[in-house]
Amino acid sequence: MRLPSLLRRTPFRLTLLFLALFVAAAGAILAYVYFASASEAQARAQADVQGELNALTAIHRTRGVDALNQALVERTIRGGPYLYLLTGPDGKIVTGNLSVMPFDLKQPRQAGRGEWSTFRLTTTDEDGRVENRRSIGVILPLTGGETLFVGEDIGGIEEYLSRLTQALWGAMALVILLGLAGGLYVSRRVEAAMAGLNRVVQAVQEGDLKQRAPLRHSGDELDELGQGLNIMLDRLETSMASIRHAGDAIAHDLRSPLTRMRAKLEVALIDAEAGKVNGVDALTIALDEADQLLKTFNTVLAIARLQAGGAPDPKVFDAADLAADMAELYEPAAEDKAIDFSAEVEKGLMVEGNQPFLAQALANLIDNAIKYTPAGGAVKLRARRRSSGEIEYSVTDTGPGVPEEDRERVVQRFVRLDNSRTEAGSGLGLSLVTAVAEAHGGRIVLDEGPGAYGDFGPGLRVALVLPPAAN
Amino acid sequence: MRILVVEDDAEAATAMVRGLTEAGHDVTHAVDGAFGLLEAQKGGYDVYVVDRMMPRLDGVGMVETVRKGGDQTPVLFLSALGEVEDRVTGLKAGADDYLVKPYAFAELIARVEALARRRETGGVLTVLKVGELEMNLIARTVHREGQEIDLQPREFQLLEFLMRHAGQSVTRTMLLEKVWEYHFDPQTNVIDVHISRLRSKIDKGFEKAMLQTVRGAGYRLEA
Repeated sequence: MRLPSLLRRTPFRLTLLFLALFVAAAGAILAYVYFASASEAQARAQADVQGELNALTAIHRTRGVDALNQALVERTIRGGPYLYLLTGPDGKIVTGNLSVMPFDLKQPRQAGRGEWSTFRLTTTDEDGRVENRRSIGVILPLTGGETLFVGEDIGGIEEYLSRLTQALWGAMALVILLGLAGGLYVSRRVEAAMAGLNRVVQAVQEGDLKQRAPLRHSGDELDELGQGLNIMLDRLETSMASIRHAGDAIAHDLRSPLTRMRAKLEVALIDAEAGKVNGVDALTIALDEADQLLKTFNTVLAIARLQAGGAPDPKVFDAADLAADMAELYEPAAEDKAIDFSAEVEKGLMVEGNQPFLAQALANLIDNAIKYTPAGGAVKLRARRRSSGEIEYSVTDTGPGVPEEDRERVVQRFVRLDNSRTEAGSGLGLSLVTAVAEAHGGRIVLDEGPGAYGDFGPGLRVALVLPPAAN
Repeated sequence: MRILVVEDDAEAATAMVRGLTEAGHDVTHAVDGAFGLLEAQKGGYDVYVVDRMMPRLDGVGMVETVRKGGDQTPVLFLSALGEVEDRVTGLKAGADDYLVKPYAFAELIARVEALARRRETGGVLTVLKVGELEMNLIARTVHREGQEIDLQPREFQLLEFLMRHAGQSVTRTMLLEKVWEYHFDPQTNVIDVHISRLRSKIDKGFEKAMLQTVRGAGYRLEA
């Protein structure tokens, strides 16, 4: 990876940013440590020097300048950390371990008032190396005209601080190196993980919905993204398949009525040319076929839309009212066919859903029941609350029923059992009911009816079970 | 009556204009919503038949503008979009009725006439009269030639709708929508059975059959 492109990578840029912040913060802390130790050491040295000065001035005050001179000589011989210099009123050196007064008084000399300063003390060590060591000291003019200097070499502090600074710079460099290396590593890893995702996205762009993002099951957010991507692709694939399936289904089911219509029109044309039928009849037949075709088409579309998008425009309403209305609407049609129609509807069955679709579903169930029940039979519509709290519509008839092994099949699209082929219908009735039920989070259950009923039976009981409306 | 057809599909428009003209109406055609709006502003129409999807100004936009201008002429929306939400959007925009394409011609004419008629009888009526048939909307009673006819509540509503549209064809879908207030395909002839029950009550024993079946369209109540 070339550097410019590396710099554009988010993880690496984040690393750099983090590193910069870290270095700035560390720098600030180091600077604080540096200045705090320097001023702390200087203050301590100053306090020591002040103590020594106090001791010496006390000697001078109580026992005079000779005693002071004596004390200085002793101290110089004994050695110790301090620097001393005593000059006479003429400025000549009386005693001390320095060869010159390290600095001048800035103020005109005034007995009893010391003046502090830092300066550089030039020394030569045993190896002959000349050093300029940082020192601190105080000059105090004495009452007799003499001048006393007491100071301390604080070069040790400086050495310590410069070692500290070196260590700090080293640490800083190590941090930067490690940070950069870490940034590169993280960047590479993220890059590798993203590459998998990018490959999938690329493949999907090119129309391959089968690709899935590799998962490492590390539980990190990239893995989550991959999982999300995979779930999204699963959904997409399902709905694409469903659309394709709907397309196939439409093509399949429209082909036969279209062929039928074409054949009828052709026959009508031949007959009309031969003067055997009148054109109006032929056109009427064609129109009926066209209407049937449109109905089938609309139902297939409705099923596809329900399966893809759930129930549109849901509202909360009383399922009991719908059942009562349907019973009232269909009762005369059943009676006309000499079928005993009854309805048993509990009150207050609130559901949330698309009322026109549920009405259509219920109509399909009742219509099927009336269609397949012979004269003299019975059809019963019930609407009730199950013990589970679910709302159940059921339509029970005394027709021939559906053998158990076929029940699974009849809810599929376009499936019509052999003995129903003579009846009008598209074979989509129960499929639509299933689609409506599932779009509402419900289901459809097929069961045996009440058993033998006169010469017929065992009948069929179809239940449409819906979840109750919340609250 | 004067009808304004706003439809961008030339073939559909030609068929519509011809059919409505043959049914005895005076029809003007506008090719999109903007022209429709201009034509509507001239005034004098009894019904607007407006296609939902058109270039420039679409049906919803046109109807909203018309309604904002205070024009209350009934509007029949035509649409290839049959979904429930589309119907709701159309009616919210100010349409009075909604017909999904493709439709039977008889259905279109029946609905257009029903809309125009509703406008004529806009006033509050307490008694409906069609020939010898009389309906009292307050007392909820029906008499024919002075004989009281006993009707179930739904039969009463059904007859009321037919009487309000006496002399016009009404389709089965219109009856299901307006009397039962349901929008779905009942699969079988459920409406026919209700009509034949009503017919047996209002026509049985009388010389003239008032409730007639119109072939290919639906029903018509005649005086």
